[in-house]
Amino acid sequence: MADAKDLRADYDTVAEEVVDLPLAFPATRGWWLCFSGALGLLLLWFVSVVVLFGKGVVVWGNTIPVNWGMAIINYVWFLGIGHAGTLISALLLISDRNWRNSLNRFAEAMTLCAVVCAGLYPILHLGRPWYFYWIAPYFSSMTVWPQFKSPLTWDFFAVLTYLLVSLFFWYLGILPDLASARDRARSRGYQLFFGIVSLGWRGQAAHWARWRQVYAITAAIAVPLVVSVHSEISLLFAAGPIPGWNSTVFPPYFVAGAAFSGFAVVSMIAIAMRAALPLRPLVTPRHLDMLGLATLATGLMTAYGYFIEVFDALYAGQEEAATLHDRLFGHYAWAYWGAVLLNFVPLQLLWWRRCRRSPRILFAVGLSVAIGMWMERFMLIVTSLYRDWLVSSYGHYMPSLWDWTLFAGMGGVFLVPFLLFVRFLPVISASETKEEVHEEAEDG
Amino acid sequence: MSARWKEVLAGLQAQGGRRFWRGLDELAGSPEFREAIASEFPALQSADWNRRGLLRAFGASLALAGLTGCEARPDGRAMPYVEDPEHLVPGRPRLYATMTSFAGIAQPVLGVTYVGRPTKLEGNPDHPASRGATDAFTQAALLDLYDPERSRIPRNASGPISWDALDTALAGRAAMLDASKGEGFRLLTGATTSPTLLRQIDALLARWPAARWHVFEPVNDDALHAATTQAFGRALDSIPLLDRAEATVAFDADPLGPGPYQVRDSLAWSARRRAFQQGDGRADLMVAEPSPTLTGARSLDRLVAEPSRIPVLVAALARVFGIVPDAPALDPAETRWIERAAKTLAAAKGRGLVLVGTEQPAATQALGWAIDARLGNLGATRRFIDPLRPTPPPDRTLDALLADMEGGRVNTLAILDSNPVYASPDGPAFAAALRKVAFSVHAGLWHDETGQACGWHAPLAHILESWSDGRAADGTPVIAQPLVRPFFDVRPLHAMLAAIGGDFTASDHALVQQTWAEKWGALQPHWNEALLKGTATQSSSPSGESPNLSPSPSGESPNLSPSPSGEGLGVGERNDHAAGFLERRPHPNPSPEGEGLALRPHPNPASGRPVPRTGLGLPGAAQPDAPEGEGLALLLRPDPTIWDGRLANNPWAQEQPKPVTTLTWDNAVLIAPALATAHDLSDGDMVRLTSGPASISGPVWIMPGQAPRTVLIHQGYGRRFGEVARDAGFDATPLIGHATVTLERVDGRRALAAAQEAHAIDGKDLVRIVDFIDTAPKPPQQPKPSFWAEKPLTRPNWAMTIDLDLCTGCGACVTACNAENNIPMVGREEVRNGRRMHWLRVDRYYEGDPADPLLHTQPVPCMHCEDAPCEMGCPVNAAVHSPEGLNLQVYNRCVGTRTCSSFCPYKVRRFNWDDYSGDAPESIKAQRNPNVTVRARGVMEKCTYCIQRISAARIDAKIAGHPIADGAVRTACQQVCPTGAISFGDIADPAAAVQKRKASPRDYALLEEANTRPRTSYLARIGGRRDRG
Repeated sequence: MADAKDLRADYDTVAEEVVDLPLAFPATRGWWLCFSGALGLLLLWFVSVVVLFGKGVVVWGNTIPVNWGMAIINYVWFLGIGHAGTLISALLLISDRNWRNSLNRFAEAMTLCAVVCAGLYPILHLGRPWYFYWIAPYFSSMTVWPQFKSPLTWDFFAVLTYLLVSLFFWYLGILPDLASARDRARSRGYQLFFGIVSLGWRGQAAHWARWRQVYAITAAIAVPLVVSVHSEISLLFAAGPIPGWNSTVFPPYFVAGAAFSGFAVVSMIAIAMRAALPLRPLVTPRHLDMLGLATLATGLMTAYGYFIEVFDALYAGQEEAATLHDRLFGHYAWAYWGAVLLNFVPLQLLWWRRCRRSPRILFAVGLSVAIGMWMERFMLIVTSLYRDWLVSSYGHYMPSLWDWTLFAGMGGVFLVPFLLFVRFLPVISASETKEEVHEEAEDG
Repeated sequence: MSARWKEVLAGLQAQGGRRFWRGLDELAGSPEFREAIASEFPALQSADWNRRGLLRAFGASLALAGLTGCEARPDGRAMPYVEDPEHLVPGRPRLYATMTSFAGIAQPVLGVTYVGRPTKLEGNPDHPASRGATDAFTQAALLDLYDPERSRIPRNASGPISWDALDTALAGRAAMLDASKGEGFRLLTGATTSPTLLRQIDALLARWPAARWHVFEPVNDDALHAATTQAFGRALDSIPLLDRAEATVAFDADPLGPGPYQVRDSLAWSARRRAFQQGDGRADLMVAEPSPTLTGARSLDRLVAEPSRIPVLVAALARVFGIVPDAPALDPAETRWIERAAKTLAAAKGRGLVLVGTEQPAATQALGWAIDARLGNLGATRRFIDPLRPTPPPDRTLDALLADMEGGRVNTLAILDSNPVYASPDGPAFAAALRKVAFSVHAGLWHDETGQACGWHAPLAHILESWSDGRAADGTPVIAQPLVRPFFDVRPLHAMLAAIGGDFTASDHALVQQTWAEKWGALQPHWNEALLKGTATQSSSPSGESPNLSPSPSGESPNLSPSPSGEGLGVGERNDHAAGFLERRPHPNPSPEGEGLALRPHPNPASGRPVPRTGLGLPGAAQPDAPEGEGLALLLRPDPTIWDGRLANNPWAQEQPKPVTTLTWDNAVLIAPALATAHDLSDGDMVRLTSGPASISGPVWIMPGQAPRTVLIHQGYGRRFGEVARDAGFDATPLIGHATVTLERVDGRRALAAAQEAHAIDGKDLVRIVDFIDTAPKPPQQPKPSFWAEKPLTRPNWAMTIDLDLCTGCGACVTACNAENNIPMVGREEVRNGRRMHWLRVDRYYEGDPADPLLHTQPVPCMHCEDAPCEMGCPVNAAVHSPEGLNLQVYNRCVGTRTCSSFCPYKVRRFNWDDYSGDAPESIKAQRNPNVTVRARGVMEKCTYCIQRISAARIDAKIAGHPIADGAVRTACQQVCPTGAISFGDIADPAAAVQKRKASPRDYALLEEANTRPRTSYLARIGGRRDRG
C-alpha cells in the first residue's frame, strides 16, 4: 500500500495537469492560431449555408439519379466518427476498463461535435429545410404524423437520441471536474463560470453515490445506442431496392465501419493533444497501444464487411453483380480502391506493438482510415445510384464548389466547439483518473 | 334630320328599356360620332364593359402581367366545340375546334381554354387527319403563343412605330402599285394551303398583274413533285396507305418520322399493326437507310445503306421483279436483304408497298412505283392527290426573287411569315439584296433575322389568335378560329395581306367567311358546323361513318397493270371523296373523276429506252463501292424537334429529346461509330465539314446504325434571333445543296446535352421482343413473394399499358405532358446535369452491334407501383398510395429528402432543384393548366396519371350518378399518341380496354425482378430477331 502522502501528491498532480489546464492554458498562441482557422471555416460554413438556402439545392452537384450526394456522404461519415466517444466511454465503463479514463472525456467531446455536424447535414440536404421538423412526431394542427416505415424517420429519432444521451453522458462525466476547476480557479470569472456549470457539486459522499448510479445507468443506455444508431443509418440504404444497398450485411457492416473511423479519429486527436498539451503522463503509449488495437480490431471487422458485400453481390448476381462491377471497374472505381487501400493497407502496421505505440505511425494510420472511410461512404452512395436499374437513367455525379465549401465549413462547425472545449474545460476526466490512481495504489 | 330622327326613334324602340345617351349622334350610332369619340376619348372606345368583363380583365391582367393590352376573352364570334356559351363556368375548360399550321399543312386541333386562356391543344377526334392525335410540333406550337419575345409593335429602320405610320406607308405603296399595275411588287410567303390566303393572293395578282408571288419553304415536297412529274406527267402528292400495306419496304423513307404528315401516316401504320397483332394479316416492315429514323427503328429487318446505295438497292429489287434487265452488283448482306424484301413483297401482292424517299433521284422513285405497279400494289396501298403544297414554278422561287432583287427589278417586297435570311443558304445575299428594295415589309410573329433585314416590320397574330384556314395532311380543309383575342396590338395574317393591298378595314373573320361562303354558296349552316366539328365540308358528313383515309374500293381503277414499257398505268386519283370530308380544290389541269394516271416512261435521251434505269445521274450507283478516304455523303434533314428553325425559340421543342439521338438544345454532326474510330472522335468533339467554298463546324455525335461514309446534320439551329434559340446548335444552311463533304477534326469540344447517357441495353430485358401475336395463350405468371399485404382492388383502380409494338418513339407524349402538367423547362446546362423535369421520358436503347443495332423506344412514366419503394422511404407521408391505386405525391407535404427518388428503381421522379417554375417568364406562366399545381423549389414531383383528369371524370360521373365509364379518363400522353400505344383505365373493370391489353400474352412488367408490382406495364414488340450471322 502506497503512502497516503504520496497518494495526495498524485491526486494533486492529476488535478494540476488536467483541471488547471484551462485556468492557465499553456499553449495560448497555438490555440489562437487553430481557433482563428476554425472560425474562418465556420464563416465559410455560414456563407455556404446562406448560398444554399438562397438558391436551393441547385448549387450542389446532385442530379437524378444521384440525388443523394455530399450531404448524405458526410452525414454518415461524421456520424461514424461520432461513434468512438460513446463506445470508449460507455462500453469500457461498463466492462470496467480503467484505461479509458484518460481518453473518454475528449472522445466524448469529439463525439458531440461530430454528431452536431452529422445532424446538420440532413437538414441542409432538404429541398425545403425550413420544414425539417415535419419529420418529428409533434402534435400539429395538420394531424399528419411522420411515416413510421421510413428509415429516415428512425434516423431522426436515432440521431437525436444519440445526441441527447451523448450530451448528458458527457456532462455527467465532467461535472465533478467542473467543481474541481471551480475550487481551484483564482479569477472571479472562472469561479463564476465553473460555479454555475458545476451545478452546486460539493463532493459529498451522497453526491458521489448518486453520480455513480446515474453514470452507470446512462452508460448502459448509451451502449445499445452505439449499435442502434449506425444500424439505423444503414437502413437508409439497405431498405431501398437499389442494387448495392439492398443487403442484410449493412447494419453490422456500418457499425463496425463507424467504430473503425471513430477510433481512428480518436487516435489522431489523442496524439495531437498529447503533443500540444502537457498530457504525456496521462495519455501514455499504453493508451495509444489500446487505441491502435481497437482500430485494428474494428478495421478487420470492416474488412470482413467488404468481403461479405462482394460475396453477397456475386451470390445474388444480376443487378447486384453489375453494381459490384461498376464499383470495381466503373467511373468511380477510384473511390472503391481508394477506400480499400487507405482503410486496410496501412492498418496492417498496427499488428506490431512498436507501430501502435509510435504516435507518428498511429496518427498516419488514423488519417488514412479517416480519408478511406470517407471514400467508402462516397463509394456506397454514388456507385449504387449512378447506375441502378434502368440503363436509360444512368447518370453521373460531381460535387460542386458549394458542396466542398460546405464540407470544409463543417470542419469549422466541428473544430470551433471542440477547441473551446480544449481551452476552457478539463479535457481528461480528473476524478476518474484519481480514482484509477487510488485503485492502483490499493491494488499495490 | 327627320330621317335621322326616325332612325333614332327606331333604335330606341328596338332596344327597349332605359338608355342614356350623350347626344343624338350617339343615339343614332353614327360612324362619325364614334370616330369623334374615339379620337377624343380613346379610353371610351370599347365601352361595352360590364362587371364580369371588368373583373375578368382584372384577373387576366394579373395573370398576364407584362402582356400589355391583352384582353383574354374568347372571341364572341367563335363557336365553342361542344358546350353552350351560357354555361361558361370558371374552372371548366371550353374546347374550340381550330388548327395550327405546320409548314403550311393544317394540323386540326381542339384548343382547350380556361376563361379565355388557351392552355393545351388536343388533336381533333372528329378530323380524319388527327383522330384526336397530334405530333410534338403541334403540342409545342401553343407555347409560341406565349413567347415573351413575340413582336408586339410595328417597326421600321428607326425603331418602333405606330400602326398608323405603317398603314400610311402601305397605303402610299398600294396607290403607287395600283397605278403601275403592280410593277415591281413581289410577295414572298411560306408554303400555304389556306384557301383564304390563296384567294387573297389570286385577287391581289389579278389587281396587280405585273406583280409576282414567290414561295419559299425550306423543307418542301418539291422533289416528290419533280419525280411524279417525270413519272406521271403531273405533280402529285403520294399518300402511303400504310393501314393496307401488309408488307412495306422502305428505302430511306421515313413516314413515321417527324414532319407535317407524321400523324396521318402513324395513324395508318398503327391501324395495320393493330390488326396484325390480332392475327389479321401481316405488317412487315423492311427499311434500308443511311441513318436511323423512327421508321427504321420500327423495323426488325433494317439494312444500313450508304445514300449512294439506295438507288442501287431499288434497282436490284426492280430486277428481281423483271422491271429492269440488270442491276449493279450488291454485296452479300445487301443481296440477302433484297432477297428477303422480294420474298416479303411477293407474298403480299396487292397488299405491299415500296416507299422510296423523296430525296432520291426521280428515276429511283419511279422505279419504286413501277415495282408497286408490277405487284398490283399501286392503287391499293397508295393514294395520289393533287399537291397540297405545290412546287412553285421556276419564276416564283426564292432564287428568282433574289435574282430580281439583285437586278433592281423589285421596288416593293412583302414577306409574309417567312424567314429566308436565316433558312436559305442565300440568306446573306438575300439580306444584302433587301437593301436594294425601295420598300420591304416583313410580317411575322417575331422580329426575326428577316424582319431585322427588312425596312419595315409588322407583328402578326398567332394562328390561335386569328381566323384562318388550311388543309390537313389528307387534303381535308380546316377552319382556324381564334382561341383568344390577340395579346398584343397585332394583325392577323389575312388582314395583313389585305393591308398590303391597301385595305385596312378587312377583318380576318370576314375574309375567311367570304372564302367559304363562295365555296358553299351560302355561309350557314355550314359555317357553324365547320366551327363546331373543326372540318369544313360541302355537306354534313354521314353520321356514324368512320372517316377513312383510303379511297373506297369501289372507286378503284381497274387498269393497274405494270408498265415498264410505257403502257398506261392506272392510278386512282381521288382526293375528294373520303367520307365526304374532302373538298376539291381546282387543279390547274383538272382531270375527270377516276381518270387513270399513266406512269410515264422515264425520258431517257441517252438510251432511248423507256425503262427508268439506274445509273442515270445517280451518284455512286455505277460504282457501288465508293473508294475510302474521299468525301463523305452529306444528309441534311430538318430537325426532329425544331424543324427548319421555326420552333427554335420554343423551350418545349428545344428540350424535347430528339428521337434516336436524345439530344436536346443542340444539333450535331451525326457520324457512324466506324467513322468516329477512324478519326478518333468522341461525342462533342468539334469537326469542320467542308464542301468547296462552304464550310461549317460543329460537334459530333456518334450514331450507332448509321452508314460509315455518311454524315447527317439537322437543320434549324444556329438562329441569330431569340433568347432561347440563340446559343443552341450551329447553322447548317451553308451546306444546303452540297452532297459530299470532307471532315476534319478541329480543336474544341461542345458539351452536348443528351437526355440519356447510356443507350446499350446490355442484354437486359427492358424491351422485350416476342415471336407470337395476341392470339397466343398467356403464359402463367407466378406472383413473387412479398412482405406487403395485398391491397383490396376496389373500383376504380387505375392502370396503364404501353404497347412497345405500336410506340414509334415520336415523343408527342412528352410534349403533351409538358403542356398538361405545367412541367418547367430547365435549359441545356441543367439537362446536362441530369435535372430535366419531364415526367414522361422516352427511353432509347440499342441492342447488338453498334454498326447495325436494333433500336428500341420505350416511354417511361411513373409505374405507380402497388408496393412502391418511394412510399416506404418518404419520412413525412408525402408519397402515399391512394385507394384508387395511384401513387400520389403531396407537394405541400414534401420536404425534399429525395429518398423516394433514391429508392425508385425507374428513376421517374423529378426534383425541383431550383425554382424552375417561379423563374419562368410571366407570359409563359399564363399558359399553365389551372388544374395542376405549380411546384415550388425543393419538392419532388412525378407523373400523376393526369390525376386532374381523373378528378374531372369522377366529378362528372358523380353528378351523372354512374361509375366512371371506360374511356372517360384519357391521360395526356394517351390522348396525343398517334398510334394509340398507350391505354389507360380501370383495372378493376373487367370490360375495360386496359384490361384487354393486360390480358395480352405480350404483357410484362418493367423490372419485374424488383417486385414493386408496377401498374404501368408494357406489351412486348412482335417479331423474331433477324439472324445477324
